[in-house]
Parts: sequence; C-alpha cells; structure tokens
Amino acid sequence: MTSLSVVFDEVSKFYGEVLGVNRVSMNIPPGITSLVGPNGSGKTTLMNLMTGLIHADAGTILMRGISPRDPEKLMRITGYATQYDAAPRWATGFSFITTGLLLFGYSRSEAEQQAWKALEQVGLTDAAHRKVAAYSKGMRQRVRLAQAIAHDPEIILLDEPLNGLDPLVRAGTIELFRTWANRGRHVILSSHVLQEVDLISDQVILIANGMIVAEGKIRDVREEIQEHPSQFIVRCDDASRVASLLFDEDHVTEIRLNEDRLGLLVMTRDRERFSRSIGRIATNGHVIDSIIPADENVDALYEYLIGEGK
Amino acid sequence: MDRQRRVKQAWTIARIELRRAFFSRRAFWVYGLALFPAVIFFFYNLSIQIRRSSLQSGSLTTPALIDSIRIGERDEDILARLGKTKRDYRWQSNIRVRDKEEKSGITTHKIDPAYEARYVRLNIMVPTCSSDRTTRIYEFEVYGPDGATNLALHRPVTGSTPCSADEGPEKAVNGSVAGGIKDRWCSHEPRSYLQVDLGEPRPIGSIVIRHASAGGESAEFDTCRFSVQATNDNKIFATVVGATGTRLVEEITWHRNLVYFDGRREVRLSFTDGRLTAKNEKLLVDFEEDRKVFAGVFQFFYLRLAIFFGCLGIFMNLFRGEMLDKTLHFWFLAPARREVLLAGKYGAGLIASSVIFAFGTLACIAVLLSGHSSAEVQQYWQSAGSAHLFWYTAAAVLGCIGYGSVFVAAGLLLRNPIIPAAVLLAWESVNGFLPALLQKLSILYYLQSLCPVPAPVDGDMPALLRLLLAPAAPASKAGAVIGLLAVTAVVLWLAALAIRRIQISYSTEA
Ligand SMILES: Nc1ncnc2c1ncn2[C@@H]1O[C@H](COP(=O)(O)OP(=O)(O)OP(=O)(O)O)[C@@H](O)[C@H]1O
Ligand SMILES: [Mg+2]
Repeated sequence: MTSLSVVFDEVSKFYGEVLGVNRVSMNIPPGITSLVGPNGSGKTTLMNLMTGLIHADAGTILMRGISPRDPEKLMRITGYATQYDAAPRWATGFSFITTGLLLFGYSRSEAEQQAWKALEQVGLTDAAHRKVAAYSKGMRQRVRLAQAIAHDPEIILLDEPLNGLDPLVRAGTIELFRTWANRGRHVILSSHVLQEVDLISDQVILIANGMIVAEGKIRDVREEIQEHPSQFIVRCDDASRVASLLFDEDHVTEIRLNEDRLGLLVMTRDRERFSRSIGRIATNGHVIDSIIPADENVDALYEYLIGEGK
Repeated sequence: MDRQRRVKQAWTIARIELRRAFFSRRAFWVYGLALFPAVIFFFYNLSIQIRRSSLQSGSLTTPALIDSIRIGERDEDILARLGKTKRDYRWQSNIRVRDKEEKSGITTHKIDPAYEARYVRLNIMVPTCSSDRTTRIYEFEVYGPDGATNLALHRPVTGSTPCSADEGPEKAVNGSVAGGIKDRWCSHEPRSYLQVDLGEPRPIGSIVIRHASAGGESAEFDTCRFSVQATNDNKIFATVVGATGTRLVEEITWHRNLVYFDGRREVRLSFTDGRLTAKNEKLLVDFEEDRKVFAGVFQFFYLRLAIFFGCLGIFMNLFRGEMLDKTLHFWFLAPARREVLLAGKYGAGLIASSVIFAFGTLACIAVLLSGHSSAEVQQYWQSAGSAHLFWYTAAAVLGCIGYGSVFVAAGLLLRNPIIPAAVLLAWESVNGFLPALLQKLSILYYLQSLCPVPAPVDGDMPALLRLLLAPAAPASKAGAVIGLLAVTAVVLWLAALAIRRIQISYSTEA
C-alpha cells in the first residue's frame, strides 16, 4: 500500500540559512491533494523535492516507492508543471511537447499524436503552432499543464495550476483533475487560496513557514483550524482584574498571569468572541495597552485563508 | 538493454540540443573565430593577385632573361636587353668627403703675385672639422716665387701656448714630419697662431702646410679653417691666404632599382653608379613559406584562441544558458539519468564545435591552396598534403573534445565564465614551464604534438615569448591522442559528479 503513496519522512530542506521546509512527514494517497499555504510557505519546495529538482538535506522521500534521485524511473510516472514561467525560445506549443515526448522513447509520429492529445485536453489546439513565448499567461499555464500530462503520468504535480485561468477554463481544468483522480492517479496541486481548492480536493495539506499545520479531509481541516486554540498576550494595568473578567467567558480555556502583574496570557477557542470580550472590558474603563497574538503561524494562516476568503 | 536505451536517449538529447549549439545567439561569434584565418588568407591571396596583375603590366619579362643578368652589368645594357620596366626607381645619395685629389694632410697655397714680407703668420680659426679643439701643425713651409727653398726652415718662431714643452712652435719649422706627435706644434688655445720670422723681407710665392694626417694622425684632425697673413712691422698685416681649409667635397652616388617579373619571380636589381651590385629574387607566392605561416596561424591563433574561446562559448552555454533562460528543469524532469543528459549535451556541443572548426580549418587550407599553381598543389597533395590535412583536422576536432569537456564541466560548477577561462588560459600558457607530469594535464600540450608542421618560432623573438610559444617536448601522435582522451575522460567524470548534485535554483542564478 505504501508503495502507492507519496511518502515524506522527516524531510528538511534549507536554502543556505533560509528554511525551505522543516521535518515534514506526510503520506499522500492517490486522489486530489492540495498543498495550501501563503507565499513562501514551502509549497514549491515540497514539489521540487518530490521531483528531484532540489535535494533534501535530511529525511527520505519515496514517490510510489521510487526515490526522486532516480529520474530515469520516476519521471516516467511523474509529470510536473512548475511555477517557472519559461519555455525555450524556439518552441511552439506543439513542438515543445513533442520534443519532450521524444525523450520517453516515442517515435516522432507517436510523440506528435500524444502531444496533440494533451493539447486537446487543455484546449490549446488553436494556438498549437504559435511560439510559446508569444502566448498569454493563461495559455502558458495550460501548455505547461499539457506538457506535464502528455506522457500519461501516474503522479501529476501542478504548482498553482489554476492561477491566471478564466472561470470557464478553470472549470474544465478542475474536471480534468477529477477524471485523473478517479483513475487512481495522484493529482497534487498547490494553491494559496483555500476556497479555490476545498471543494475539489480529497485531501488538503496546510503549510505555513515550512511546516505542515493541518492535514486531512477538507472538513476536518476546517474544524481543526477553527478549533485550534489561539493564544494572546494582553498587556494592561490591572491584569488580575481583567483576568477575572475574562475567566467568566466560556470561550476562554486558560489564563496565566504574568509575574509583573502587568500582563496575562489568554488561551481562547474562539477568536471573534475573544475580541468582542476584550472590547467590552475596555469600554468598561479598563486600560488595555496591547493585544499580541502569541501563536503567529496558525494565526497568520487563519487570517490569510479564512479571513481573506470572506 | 538499458544501455541501449540510454545511448538512444543521449542521441535524442544531442539532436534536440544541436539547435542551441549551432544557433545560440550567445555563441554566434564562434563562427567569426572559426572563419577568421580563412578570411585573412583570402585577403592575402587577393593582395597577391593584385600585385601580380600590376607586375604583369609593365614589368614582365622572361625567366631566361632574368637568369642572364650578371652582377656588374650596366643598367642601360640591362634595360636594352630586358626592355623598359614600370618599376624604375632612381635616387642619389650625397656625403661630404675630403677631396681625393689632395695629398693627405698637405695643403699648398700659391701667392701670385709674390708678396714681400719679413713675418709670416698662420691663424687657426677652426682647429679640426670634428669636435676636437686641438691645433696640430706638423710643418709650416714658406717658399719664394721659385719654390726652391723653404724660407721658414729653422727660423725663429713664436706661437700660442703649446700643449706640452716639446710640442712648441719650433716643431713646425724643423723640416721634418716623421717624428710622431713630438714632431708637431700643438696648442689647445682657441684661435691659436704661429708666426715665423724670415730675418728680412723676402718675396713669398707659396706656402705649404702639413696637417695632422701628414704626420700620421687621423685625417679627422686636419685643420679645418685657417688663414695666412704677412707683415713687416707686426702692425699692418696683409692676408695672403684667405680663410681656407683642408678641402671637403660632396661625393654623389647614383642609385637605381629596377624590378622585373617573370610570372613567378619578382627580381629587384640594385645599381650603384650605373653598375649592378645586387640582384634579389623573391617568389611572388612561396608555397613552402605559406605553409609555414599556416602552421603558425593554426597553432598560435586557432588552437590557442579560436578553438579555446569557441568551445567556451558553445560548451559553457549548454547548461549555463538554460539556467539563465530558466529552462533547465525541463531536462531534469525528463525520464533520463543526469549523466545521459550530460552525454547528450556534450555530444551536441561536440558535433557543433567539431563541424564549425573542422570546416574552418578546411576552409583555411582550401583558401591557402587556391592561391598556388595547380601543379604545386598536386605535388603537395601526393606527398604530405593529405596527411597534413588529416592531422590538422584531427587536432581541431580533438581540441573541441578536450576544451569542450573542460568548459562543460566549468559551466556546471561555476557561474562566471570569465574565471575558468582566465585560469585555463593561464594554465595552458605557462604549460611550457611546468614539470613533465603537470604538462600532461594540459590540452594544448597534446594538440601541439599533433600538428604536422612545427610552428615557426622566430629566433629574434623575446626569450620569454619564445618560451611561451614553443611547444613542450612533444608526445608521439598516438600518445597525444590517448593522453588527450584520458584527460577528457577524467574531466567528464568530474562533470558527471557535478551534474548529479545540481539543484534548480533560478532565483539566485541571475
Ligand atoms: N532558491 C532559493 N534560495 C533561497 N531561498 C529560497 C529558494 N527557493 C525558495 N526559498 C525560500 O524557501 C521558502 C519556501 O519557498 P517556496 O518557493 O517553497 O514557497 P511557496 O509556498 O511555493 O511560495 P509561493 O506561493 O510564492 O509560490 C521561502 O522562504 C523562500 O524564500
Ligand atoms: Mg511556489
């Protein structure tokens, strides 16, 4: 069974001093999996690691049982549409894909047939013989998609594949993902908007700052985030009085008083009700100097994914 | 089975990459480098052609007539025999020399009519015509109109301070010149003088002065300018010999050059004063000479610079170009080993560079041959020609193999192409100084051993330059080929290690 999954075991990657991903362990079964996280969270890093474009500093990766260090085997069953928006100067959409297919050992006519099929799937046949360099952003996005799937791979990696697609094309593309997933393939895509992928994914993996924050079926992830207790540091003059007022609220699970009696650490299950409570306390004449979220990762992610979407 | 598939894959990659190798805009100047010698030889041929047609109109004669010319012949005779030539240059050279008519160092001055006086005075205005400022008079003789007796002989005499006590004025009237420098009057004074007392007024008909060279010294010290005066009372002086000197005359030499051409040889005849003194024959096109020039151009320009920088352009670009274009990941995402990718790309670079530089070599040789008569070319062809052609082409191709491997490795390991180029160029240049073992790690060492004709290293080059250009002790041809391939294999193995470790990281690349 594991040999049919994409498995990360304690994988870390650093770019010099900069953290790429840190001790990531995950097990991705076939189906549509979305890597979701804000810019710079490590989505591309994970995908590059999966395909051997970069090498992990620690940990092991197995793609359906194959190491990314073995491109000869791995890339036969893997297609990767990267986020790098470049194509060879000489290439038309058609020649670009055909050329790639030649390396799989197809004869030219086979390769041309396959390439045409891939272009049909992404709806680019009209522009097939124009230079890729002259394509629009959405067309380049689609030609990369076609290039990734032209050899019928089992594992399809797509870095932000829905970026820059108009609603009509986007719907068609999502339908393609579904078809592939139903055939038992891996479709792993990345996005920084949860709403964009939550309906179509079988599984969502939330990433922030190079770490997996939540993982699972989409509903579980939502709840996990909603219920993830948030911590705040509240600085005020009469900390003990504020603490007792807050303690009456049922969303507050824990309060710790600072030793200097000028601040307290509050743990709450519901951020919105917490902020309403603080507002009430302030209007009742207690001076609140500042409220600092203490758990930035999840907080930021929450703001980003849920807050923005509303 | 696997191996066969990989070879096929590498070949597929090479075919795709040929486009980049041949037509990459970053490497277009490679063509310029490759064809440069051919172009130069073309223009050289053209200039020869122009010279030939210009010689043929107006200076043409036959080989037999040219062979008939002998040193010492008169120019007019030769012109009459060979006909007029357009290239007829005349000029004259003048030098000032002492009058040959004059006996060495002796001047005679007639005084006509004779002048009667008791004292005769020699005034030296310029002691010598050189930079020397010393007056040297060996004898001062005064004769009557009959010219029989020297009236001044042993007479009392005064004069400027002598150089030494035994070089006083009396030595100028002692009747002898043969006693060496102690037999002269000598003075360092500017505008010195000498005055003889004849005892009573006597008619003076002529004066003879024996200067430095009459006494055996260099003619350079002969008196340059002087005059002679006569007086009876030491108050009123009559100038009897106006300012004069040992005589200088202009010697004029007539020069003439005639140039003739017999279709092959260009002959330059040099005449002095109407007689042939030198006959210089030069082949208008000298096949042997041209082949030597080609050997030099091939070794010093082609191997060292053109192929070196050409391979730099082509091979460094194979990977670096794709990093800059951000397209390298397409290759890494293909189902091929990284080593296969390396092999494919190197193969493409090799095909392109070999074709370009082999063609450049052949083109240059072809242009070179086209300037020579077909008979000569045919003869060359039957003797060494085809072997030369083979080894020159082989050296060019092997150069691409060797330098290509180095630059493909450098392109994988380093970002900046300037650094490896500079280091390698320096390494190859100082190769001649290195110990034998290290020499074997240089590409150039092997390439030079392959060249069929040794490059001309001029004797009057600066010693350092000669050391740099002179080939190191050559290896045998087979040894050179094997050695070069061995070095290439090692470098490619290093490149294979490097390509396995490469990671895609475009952001920091540019
Ligand atoms: N080549 C690199 N050199 C240095 N740091 C890098 C490099 N590539 C990525 N990083 C860093 O690694 C972290 C993760 O980057 P990554 O590209 O994986 O993020 P991402 O989730 O794909 O972001 P985005 O949504 O913008 O595509 C970031 O902090 C980034 O700055
Ligand atoms: Mg990314």
